[in-house]
Amino acid sequence: MDDELENMGSAKEARWAVLLRQSLSGDRVAYVQFLTDIAPVLRGIIRARCGGTSDESEDLLQDTLIAIHQKRHTWRQTDAVGPWIYAIARYKVVDGQRKRRRNRIVAFDGTEDRVPDETLADPSLRGDLNTLLAHLDDTAATIVRDVKLNGLTAEEAGAKLNMTGGAVRVALHRAMAKLSAIAQHDVRPKMSNKERK
Amino acid sequence: MNTDDLIASIGAELKPSRAGLLTAWVVRGVIVGLVVTAVSFAAFWGMRPDVSVIWSDPALIAKSALPLLLGALALPWMLAEARPAGKSWSAAASTVVLILLGLIILATLYLTPSQQWWVQMMGHSISICLKSIPVLSAPILAGSLIALRRGAPEHPARCGAVAGLVAAGFGAAIYSLFCIEDSPLFYGVWYTLSILFVTSIGAIAGRSLLRW
Repeated sequence: MDDELENMGSAKEARWAVLLRQSLSGDRVAYVQFLTDIAPVLRGIIRARCGGTSDESEDLLQDTLIAIHQKRHTWRQTDAVGPWIYAIARYKVVDGQRKRRRNRIVAFDGTEDRVPDETLADPSLRGDLNTLLAHLDDTAATIVRDVKLNGLTAEEAGAKLNMTGGAVRVALHRAMAKLSAIAQHDVRPKMSNKERK
Repeated sequence: MNTDDLIASIGAELKPSRAGLLTAWVVRGVIVGLVVTAVSFAAFWGMRPDVSVIWSDPALIAKSALPLLLGALALPWMLAEARPAGKSWSAAASTVVLILLGLIILATLYLTPSQQWWVQMMGHSISICLKSIPVLSAPILAGSLIALRRGAPEHPARCGAVAGLVAAGFGAAIYSLFCIEDSPLFYGVWYTLSILFVTSIGAIAGRSLLRW
């Protein structure tokens, strides 16, 4: 039984290594396949480790996938893929928890963290979105406005900004994460002249 | 955003990359730092006039060779620290330097009359030594840290500390060509202290600079 599990594990490892090797040489199909393969495994690990809401762990999963993408040159062809991606996920989970601790300013009785505040989970639902957007740089604010409010696709929004659709999605992900943090922080957004009509 | 969409967009961004990029960047950072250090050394310190005397005494060879060995062994260790789940034999191997230094110090204590111990340890240039080694290490540390920012260290402070060991090892080896204190009791104490100081600076810098 253990042997069987181990064989499954090493078969999975070998498959990941092949896909990642092809990805690093520029094969986009292999890369998407690789990311699609590892995502559910990482999701399981992240959920088990962080125990937060599923929104939170999905955010951490996306952070991890972006980190894997940005740090893919730290994997060497001879390294095992599993330990490498697990280490990245571990780092991102710990980092996320650290940020969450830092962002929590006033605790009342310790229970409010367990009650998800639906109005804050998606910052675009808040009425003062415009004020929140003043916290972002202009490009990010434009992207959020175009994609989330005006319903453009990432590609359409990108065309206006001279960015690829992929770059727009990554920037959007970052911007939404930042807005969530601000909303949860309950920073009273300053009224500034950056506020748009 | 939906995770599948994110995967699709990351996939669309992929560009082919060459193997061994991180190592190349970090080695380049260390080399640039070494060049800056060597130039400042030549300009402001210079070799001791009787530099060839080093070859005549094993304790003097060790004064230059041990920090050099430390720098060389800690370099692959530092690279491993910059890779998620990275492991290297060199972390354990680096302790060889400590063991060798310990043996040399013991031998010196054995061979030197005990009234001389304090005199030899205090020497004449403690403050120059304590200032010069960190200053000469600084460019190497800076070069490595800048390059290491492209890495993904699981423990940024530890990675920074090992970068400090690398920098201080090379920095102390270069400084040893200027230093005329020849007793292992001197360099065993003051070089080690300077190296530990640079290591702590590396840890503190790494904590914030090497986060990703």
